[in-house]
This record gives sequence, structure tokens and C-alpha cells, in this order.
Amino acid sequence: MSPQPLPASASPHRSPDLLASTDVPGLANTPILWILALAVLSVVGIQSAIYMVAVRRNAEAADMSPREVNRAFRAGGIAAIGPSLAVVLVAVALLPLFGTPPVLVRIGLIGSAATEVASAELAAQTMGSGLSGDGYTTDVFVVALMAMSLSGAGWMLATLILTPVLKTGSAKLQKVNPALMSIVPGAALLAAFAALAMTELPKSGVHAVAVAVSAVIMAVCLLIANRLRAAWLKEWALGFAIVGALTVAYFVHHAG
Amino acid sequence: MSANSDAQPQAVPARLAAMDQAYTVTTNRWGRITMIISLLLATSVPFYLLFFGGVSVTGAQVLTGFLAVAATYGVFWIVEPVTYYPILGPAGMYQAFMIGNISNKLLPSAIVAQSSINARPGTRKAEFAATAAICGAAAVHVVSLLLLVGLLGTWLVSITPPEITEVARLYILPAILGGIVVQLIATLKQIKAALIAMAIAAAMVFGVLPFVPALAGFNTGIVVLLTIVVVWFARPRSMRGARTRADGDEETIGIA
Repeated sequence: MSPQPLPASASPHRSPDLLASTDVPGLANTPILWILALAVLSVVGIQSAIYMVAVRRNAEAADMSPREVNRAFRAGGIAAIGPSLAVVLVAVALLPLFGTPPVLVRIGLIGSAATEVASAELAAQTMGSGLSGDGYTTDVFVVALMAMSLSGAGWMLATLILTPVLKTGSAKLQKVNPALMSIVPGAALLAAFAALAMTELPKSGVHAVAVAVSAVIMAVCLLIANRLRAAWLKEWALGFAIVGALTVAYFVHHAG
Repeated sequence: MSANSDAQPQAVPARLAAMDQAYTVTTNRWGRITMIISLLLATSVPFYLLFFGGVSVTGAQVLTGFLAVAATYGVFWIVEPVTYYPILGPAGMYQAFMIGNISNKLLPSAIVAQSSINARPGTRKAEFAATAAICGAAAVHVVSLLLLVGLLGTWLVSITPPEITEVARLYILPAILGGIVVQLIATLKQIKAALIAMAIAAAMVFGVLPFVPALAGFNTGIVVLLTIVVVWFARPRSMRGARTRADGDEETIGIA
């Protein structure tokens, strides 16, 4: 679904009258919510800082040089530029629907656009409305945001509870069968991305084209990087692949 | 990195083990603390609106909306952490489920970083590299959210042509996935495992899901599980009964 701008008749300020307000951004853009959203962003920053110190201090234990630590940090950052800009584009498009602080917390962090929008739509439907039109009042918005947030809390609680359990389990497996634990991570990665990519193919011809163009650009970049020993190209390759695939998708989408 | 000359030969492994332990303790403790804080902060956003936003929403409405979302996504609170644990490890779990956008941003960043310093998944070096890469990705992501959504978002809404937002929203995932699958295969160099993963994913997406659409949400988890099982039984003779350490000689890791 595509976000729709609020009707021009929406009142610019909320009034305590009986008419239900549809000014969702007006409700959501309050100072307290901005503070909460910035606090969540800060916690992410603090966590990253603590983790980086832990990696840097103990890198020798993983047979990693300080240069490799910096390299990994930089490579991760560069690889994230494309996906982050894409998230930004989608988040910006959803601003009129949810207001800035909820978009920062739910779409930008913690969740992903697809999950959160689908969750919001499901909850809004139980209020007899969707995420657009005159029926989308501030009441509907608050119910949708509550549902998205509680569901997001479910994910985080499950992670907090399951991670120590899984850790104990894999430590035991590691002892009983080290070969298994050396096979699992690689196989799991290949399988997860094979499944995710394969799922895109039947969605539409354009989806399939985007997967193919992205794969070809990556293959060419990696070939050149290996031939010319250009390590920087390995870091930027994903960005090139994303931009190339989206550009082709743009023309195919609007041509068909 | 070679052992420092000032350390006694016997003290070196002990020192490295202590560093390894320090990394695990720090990332687990602070990972949990930061995740709990962000869980509380993020969840208080809708509660603030519910109690102080001047809306007339009942507890029953919130519960109904939440149940509608939980009915669809509740299973994934459990399935996703279990699916991604073998890839992320405990430290990465606390990062990933707080930062969000795991398969479209964080895992690609980790793969690119591992590839750029030649760390193979399953090794300690790969785990450290993934943590550093996710920190790099988080830094880029937080800055771009703050600037482009928080600060300039409302202005960007007004100048971005809807056709571009539309294309980015529809095709960003395939544009990332095509390239990342190629990079993953090039990094892991486990052709047999890659072919097994592709075959199982294709069989699920094109052979099973069209007939059992209810499985769609479990697709990735099923493919991961089946791939691990098949790769395990198809492992080379050299790994059968072998008690190799997971971070041991590269020759013995994974399916060549």
C-alpha cells in the first residue's frame, strides 16, 4: 500500500471537541516522543561503542589485527549505506502516516518497514479502518502503534530469553560435535539468503530482473576486485549492485 | 597476529583465552542491558500517547489490535531469533534485534566485512568481524536516520518524486539480495553447500509454497534447517568423525 497524504481538511491542531482528529503527525510530533526516539537512537550508539571497544581490546584472541578491526568496521558501514538510504526513503514516505518519532523508532530501528506497516494495517482493520482516508483517526493510529510496539516487544523479549538458551545449546553441541558447529553457520547463511532471494523471484518480472542485475553487477565487481587486487571495490560492490538494480528496475517498472 | 615476545610461551594461550572471555562477558552483559533499556523506551512511546495523547481508546481495542498482529507475527518472535542465531552468535543477537533490518542491512554488512578481511563464517575471527561490521552499519544507519528522517524528513517528503519512493520500496530487497548471494558464495567458497541451499530454496519456493501457502512465513526457517541437515550428511569424508576445532585449520572447515 502507498501512504496517502492526510486530507486537507484535517485540523492543524488537535481540539478536544467531539470530532475525531485525523492529525496524526500533530499528535505524534510532541517533545516527549522526540526525546524517547532520540534516547533509543542513543542507546543503539552506546551499544555500538561498547561493542567496538570490546572487539578492539580483545581482537588478538580472534587472531585479528587492529587494522582488520578498522577494516571490518568500515566495510560494514560502507555496505550499509545503500540499505540505510533505502530505509530512509521508505521511512520518509511513511512520515505523514505515523509522524516522525514513531517512524524513527519502529521503521528506522527495531523493526523493518514491511513488518511494521503490515502490523499497523492489521491493527487498524480491527478498528474498522485502514491506514488511510478519513477513517484513519488518531484513535486508530494509537491502537495501531500500540499493537506494532507490543509485537516488537515480543521479538525483543524472545531474543532476550532465547539467546542464553541457544548459547548453552550450541556450546554443548560444540563439545559433542565440533564438526557440526563448523558447518552450521556457513550453511545457515547460504540457506537464509538463498531462501530470501528465491522468494523474490516469483513476485514479478521486475523483482526477478532486480535480483539478476544485482547478482551480475556483484559478480563483475568481485572479478575486477580480484583481478586488480582492489579491496575497496569489495566494500563498495554491494552499493553499486543496489543502485544498478534499482535503476534498471525503475525503467522496467515504468516501461511495463 | 603473532604472540608477543614479552609473554611467556605458556602464558600466551591463557592470556588469549582471558581476552576471549572478556569479549564474551562484555558483549553479553551490555548487549542485554542496552536491549532491555531500548525495549522499555520504545514501548513507552505508544503508552505515552495512550494515556496522555487525549485519545479515547479502550483497553479492549488495544488488545484486539494486538491479538490481530500477534496472530500473524507471534510465531516469528520465536522463529526469527532461532533462525538467525547460528549466523549472528549471542553478541550479534543483541545488536540485530535492537537495530532491526537484519536481512536487508545487518547480515549483508557482516558478510561484506568478513569477505574483505577473509574471515570464514564459523570462526572466532568472523564473529568479531561481524560485530565490528554491525557497529559500522549501526553508525551509518543512526546518522542517516537522524539527518535524513529526523532533521530533513518533512522537507524530503515534499521534494522526492513518488515514482522513486515507489520503486525503492518495491524493489530494494531483490536489489540487495541478488548481489549479497553472489558475495556470500564468493566469500564462503562452499560450492556444494551453495548448490544444496539453492536447490532446497527453489524446491520450497516453486514446488511447495504454491500448494501450501500457509508455510510462506516459515520458508526461511525451513530452508535453513533442511540445508544444515543435507549439508551435514553430504560432508566430505575428511570431516567424518573428525574432532577439529571450529576455528582450526581452514582446510577442515565447511564443504569445499
